[in-house]
Amino acid sequence: MPTINLSGAQKNYGVNSANAVSNLDLEIRDGEFMCLLGPSGCGKTTTLRMIAGLENLSDGEIRIGERVVDSVRAGVFIPPEKREMGLVFQSYALWPHLTIERNTDFGLRLRKLPKEEREQRVEKVMQALDIAKYRDRYPSQLSGGQQQRVALARMLAVNPGVLLLDEPLSNLDARLRLEMRAELKRIHKEFKTTIVFVTHDQWEAMTLATTIAVMNEGTLQQMGTPNDIYDRPANRFVAEFVGSPPINILTFGSSASAMSRAAAAYLGERYPSSRGVGSVGIRPEAIGYATKGGDVPAGSFTGEMTVTGVLPTGGSWILELRNDNDTLFLTTNALPRVETGSRVDFFAPSDALHVFDKDGQRIAEADALLRARTLN
Amino acid sequence: MALLSETAKASTVPDGAIAPTPWQRWRYRAKVASREPTTLIGILTALLFTYLIVVPIISIVLDSVRVQFGHERRLGKDFGDLTLYYLDRAFLSPVSVDLFWRPLLNTLSVALGAISLSLLIGTVLAWLISRTDMFGRRWFATALIVPYMLPAWTFALAWTTLFKNRTVGGQPGWFEAMGLTPPDWVAYGRFPIIVILALHYTPFVILLFGSALRRFDSQLEDSARILGAKRYQVAIQIILPLMRPALLSSMVLIFAKCLGEFGVPYVLGLPVKFEVLSTSLFRSIASRQTGVAGVVAASIMLIGIMTLMIDARLVREARRFVTVGSKGSMNRQSRLGKYRLPATGFAALIFLLSVGLPLLTLFLSTIMKLPAQFTLDNFTLDYWIGRDLNTVALQTGILLSPDLWAAAKNTLMIVGLASLTSGILGLFVGYVVIRTPVKALSVYLRQVTFLPYLVPGIAFAAAYLSLFAVPRGPMPALYGTVTILILALIADQMPYASRAGISAMTQLGKDPEEAAQIAGAGWFRRMISIVIPIQKGSLVTGVLLPFISGIKGLSLFVILAVPSTDVLTTYSLRLVDYHYTQAANAVVLIIAAIAYLGTLAAQKLTKTNLAEGLGS
Repeated sequence: MPTINLSGAQKNYGVNSANAVSNLDLEIRDGEFMCLLGPSGCGKTTTLRMIAGLENLSDGEIRIGERVVDSVRAGVFIPPEKREMGLVFQSYALWPHLTIERNTDFGLRLRKLPKEEREQRVEKVMQALDIAKYRDRYPSQLSGGQQQRVALARMLAVNPGVLLLDEPLSNLDARLRLEMRAELKRIHKEFKTTIVFVTHDQWEAMTLATTIAVMNEGTLQQMGTPNDIYDRPANRFVAEFVGSPPINILTFGSSASAMSRAAAAYLGERYPSSRGVGSVGIRPEAIGYATKGGDVPAGSFTGEMTVTGVLPTGGSWILELRNDNDTLFLTTNALPRVETGSRVDFFAPSDALHVFDKDGQRIAEADALLRARTLN
Repeated sequence: MALLSETAKASTVPDGAIAPTPWQRWRYRAKVASREPTTLIGILTALLFTYLIVVPIISIVLDSVRVQFGHERRLGKDFGDLTLYYLDRAFLSPVSVDLFWRPLLNTLSVALGAISLSLLIGTVLAWLISRTDMFGRRWFATALIVPYMLPAWTFALAWTTLFKNRTVGGQPGWFEAMGLTPPDWVAYGRFPIIVILALHYTPFVILLFGSALRRFDSQLEDSARILGAKRYQVAIQIILPLMRPALLSSMVLIFAKCLGEFGVPYVLGLPVKFEVLSTSLFRSIASRQTGVAGVVAASIMLIGIMTLMIDARLVREARRFVTVGSKGSMNRQSRLGKYRLPATGFAALIFLLSVGLPLLTLFLSTIMKLPAQFTLDNFTLDYWIGRDLNTVALQTGILLSPDLWAAAKNTLMIVGLASLTSGILGLFVGYVVIRTPVKALSVYLRQVTFLPYLVPGIAFAAAYLSLFAVPRGPMPALYGTVTILILALIADQMPYASRAGISAMTQLGKDPEEAAQIAGAGWFRRMISIVIPIQKGSLVTGVLLPFISGIKGLSLFVILAVPSTDVLTTYSLRLVDYHYTQAANAVVLIIAAIAYLGTLAAQKLTKTNLAEGLGS
């Protein structure tokens, strides 16, 4: 399928209501596995439905290749049934009155394919998704995971150019979810389909996507590879939304805490124009700690704090450190040799600092400077 | 860095920062809407219902302020001119007491009496059924609803069979025949009407109050108990305030129903000239007082609309408490202890009074020659299957009378056709209301199809008479035809049919249809392969429920039917008028049987609860 292009796409559900999606530019290239990631109500499902044609635009345009399929200004609207896409609903939306086989066969019948070819394709996709043995059952007789696979099979049978998935894993239990993630990745490889996947689960997005588009309040926050999103969050929202436990944020300004002032001073030595900085973020796993008198690497941002909590998460630990008004979380994979009440020195290398301006946007020029200092 | 620049690109404002022009927006919306016939169907049905529902109502309201045929000379104005004569006559003139005020007062007193009595009985029964360990709760839960499945005037006929006294001619009642003449106030008028309506509408209270009780979260009770509240304190301070919306709602519904009730006051009120609004309206129409009839009908509508608006408010109020029943709602039973047996006895007594006694009386009356003589030679099947009876008319038993079968055929044809049509239209309305992108259309359709619910049947029938009695434009005069009955029935049933359609479509959600759309199915394909097959069950309900209520319905027919278009209900009423008591009772029993069995069948077929049929 050619590239799908959204430009200036906008959706509001009423004259006075806020935009569900505003001014969205998005490009989905052939063969991509794109995740739309964001908290609930951020407009990601609306975006998906706009692409499918199930939701009308309030403004903007959607193109598939050079062909405009939806445009308010040009007065173009190609209905969903003519867009040749596949969509797996969060609720699966299997047709309750049709058997699994008929559910899978539905789209092929509409395309008036010869019987042999239909049977062949249904068989192939049912085998691929391991649902052939349920062919004569009705959807209500299947478990959630099986229904989910039928919903996938139904769409894959017609071999759509792009497969849209609306939180398809959210109704499954943890183990099934893991299996289906692997399944989706396999399908992406095997069928070479472009996939657009909506989720609010950051791990799902991280593990599956080739590109992640983070959305919030109807606007696109950042688009990039999973690593990029995690390592170079474009703004504070992305930084705080992605990552668990969440990133530590130190806010600068007149009411700054002791640690924030220390961070400001530390930053000032390395980044001369730090007056415009609004806050600094440090991921918990980038922070190390040393017991009193232990080694603190030179050139790191450091300070003394009290351990107020040691929380095992199985395989790793979260440490909560406090000092007056400051709280810091760090994670470690080594068994902590400290207890609640111990005084420790935390430290973070300069390139672990994410610098944001007063509007919360990442200051990209600071990155190079901070990294250079570490290398020295 | 390259990726960062992409981020930057993604957030740049495109050249289209200025909003699209209204024309562009309109054109786009029109384009979207015209992809599918949904909106077109919506517009057509909206027009249809405007004609079938709104126009008749406007017509009768206009009747009340315009000079009617035959009054031109008296009023010195031309036919159709504006006049306040009818309003004056109905509200201010010396005859207004008889035409409006006394009937209004009687209606109110009857309604209040019926409400108090049914609340008294209904709340106790609802509590016994839903929250105690009374014997046979499950059986009573169904049995005590039966009175509502039977036509209300079944009870009125049973009452006259028992209590009719020498005030009125014809066969005497059982008590009279046994030498105990019941006083007029027992035999006719306010008292029996109140008792009968109360028994008939008690199921309302049982259903509404009972379901509220069942949904009540016993953790709320437990919390109060743990904090030290005594049982009566819990009842007064916790349960009662939370039950108030359900109680008020059943009160309002009973009031609205009493307002339009015709059969019972007609049978029991007429002998002592006890008039309520509906019978007064009937009398005005029967004596061709179209203008006054318009005023009375409009007044009934206004009161009906007001009460149901109050009800809508209460329902909204009740919704505030919805969270109450969300989680941990447990059906905890109170132990009745030594009261267990008396409580069961009470429920059984109510069942006997409201179902057993009336039906048995009616049945016995149809197989006895002389009332209240329980000797073997007094029993006969002549009234059912006899031949060459020595009577002026109706010389065969009722089952052999061609009139009965003609009426039965008419009933099946008229009610059947109307129910089928309204059921299908209801599904269409449901579809359009839920699916159309044109919001105004959705709102209008939803409201216009609900309108007849606010208008008591008798007033609605009067409205039809006012609009269709004379030829208007391309429509010929329809009075006396089957068509007017069918049209009126369709309109009258639309609230239930459209509600069934809307709720079915809401339940279905849009996912299955959107999935088909994605798979490449166009509108007609989706209708045929997805929507209609899935909605088969609710379509059956949408046809069956109106059919049952249509079969036992009286108030529409009594105004619009003529002898040649008799249905079972009007036929039995005609027999009452001719004092063919046994035959009339037999016909009523047949209707009751059809209504009861139909309701059971509908339940079996659709696996729904009786409560679903409430209000039909």
